[in-house]
Amino acid sequence: MQQNPESRVASFTLRLAPTAWRASGRYVRGLIGFAALLAVWEGLASAALINPVLLPSPTTLFWASGDLVRSGTLVRHVIASVERVLVGFALAALVGLLFGVVLGWFRTLSDFVKPLVEALRPIPPIAWTPLAILWFGVGNAPSYFLVFVGAVFPVFVSTFSAVRNIERTQINAALCLGATPAMLIRDILVPGALPVIFPGLRIALGVGWMCVVAAELIAAQSGLGYMIQQNRLLLQTQFVVTGMIVIGMIGFAMNALMTAIERRLVPWQESSKSSVNE
Amino acid sequence: MQLKVDHVSKEFAVRGHAKVLKVLADVSLSVAEGELIVLLGPSGCGKSTLLNVVAGFLKPTLGQVLLDDTPVMKPDRRRTVVFQDYALFPWMTVQKNVEFGLKAQGVEPVERARIARDFLALVKLSGCEDRYPYEISGGMKQRAAIARALAPNPDILLMDEPFGALDAQTRVLMQEELARIVAEARRTVLFVTHSIEEAVFLADRIVVMSSHPGRIRSIHDVGLPRPRTPRTRSLPEFISLTQELWDSLKPQWRDDGVEARLQREN
Repeated sequence: MQQNPESRVASFTLRLAPTAWRASGRYVRGLIGFAALLAVWEGLASAALINPVLLPSPTTLFWASGDLVRSGTLVRHVIASVERVLVGFALAALVGLLFGVVLGWFRTLSDFVKPLVEALRPIPPIAWTPLAILWFGVGNAPSYFLVFVGAVFPVFVSTFSAVRNIERTQINAALCLGATPAMLIRDILVPGALPVIFPGLRIALGVGWMCVVAAELIAAQSGLGYMIQQNRLLLQTQFVVTGMIVIGMIGFAMNALMTAIERRLVPWQESSKSSVNE
Repeated sequence: MQLKVDHVSKEFAVRGHAKVLKVLADVSLSVAEGELIVLLGPSGCGKSTLLNVVAGFLKPTLGQVLLDDTPVMKPDRRRTVVFQDYALFPWMTVQKNVEFGLKAQGVEPVERARIARDFLALVKLSGCEDRYPYEISGGMKQRAAIARALAPNPDILLMDEPFGALDAQTRVLMQEELARIVAEARRTVLFVTHSIEEAVFLADRIVVMSSHPGRIRSIHDVGLPRPRTPRTRSLPEFISLTQELWDSLKPQWRDDGVEARLQREN
């Protein structure tokens, strides 16, 4: 949303300014948190209070990750993992959105399916691993499946409740203004559901990312999870921890990306939460 | 344009009960072109239900609503609604909200942008076109909602306690604004409120409703001169009619309070 600050009313500018200041302050504080952790960790390592085999120091990890990047190993594993999570997530988004919309809209139909979903939902995706291997063998397929299992429920649940909770008065408002069925779907139902669906997609991607790593620990020959597992067997702890940090960073980046897309697609939502209801 | 409410009754099934709740009982009313009619009554008298039936959101159990002798079956742009909670589309700018009804009619983008700007000027929201609803105050939201409802050129504007969510001062200002807007746009209005002063200030005719079941109890012509301005409130006729309505409604308001309290306690 592009907006000229001068065009805002004074009270709004006043409300915005401290928010921007607070936001930048928050980033700085976040960085200080990271720096403090690294400093303490490095200090303990150089004082020989930590066994370097069990937990290498940050500098060791820095050089180790340099080796991994130069050899191309890290990039290869990252690409393998990201590809798996994207495929599994895309499938989950497709199925979750479809079922969420259909069951959210047709209440009687949802009576048949909702208890089933609620019974399947608590089974952790990891518990599906043995079946995934039996069904799909070794390769990418079991990872796709496990990501799908982890990601489909958050998408479904958020879409379902988004469709259920669309405000009746807004539909009425659109109808009395003469909205055609196409306008009702495109201009009211979809944008009305997006603010609820999007956090569901964001959570689903996060869950999917955890699932892919878990799947790779057991059922794959590549990827970050596989890399960690291999290096554990070789007692190469520096590569294990490097792998973990990369997993964390990519998860962080994916969440940030989804949040950015959400802000772009749902520009009216972010600030409306903080604005006081008159 | 002529709107006729013809012996309308409305019953709702009560969840978990065999009996039905009778909300409207045999209500008849006609609204002439250019009139501002206020439905006045305590909460639970069915005035909002009646408005929803006129809008076409609800189907009457008995009777019908006729607009120019054609029965109302479903909502359409000849009867647009202004809601108490504004019901602006939060994902559209003020401009796009006002354009919505025109877009539904297939008006070309340039033309509908022009019409929308004219109506935003009428409700004194020029300069707010590109704001989102969350960026403007409650009073401004309701101005935008009025512009949105006027833009598709409805035969009658239906207003369901439109100022109920506003603070007392903004509410008084919006009443004066509405009086001006309706006069300038020459519209027919059906306005629902539980505020006696609001009813007297705005109405050509006040339809007083009573509850359990909702029915029309009396109809009062308001002879106050137009245009209605802040000075209207100090006219002796304004004060005496307000007092008269309050005296006649007081017993029912009190009973309603007691009844509501009893219902809560059960």
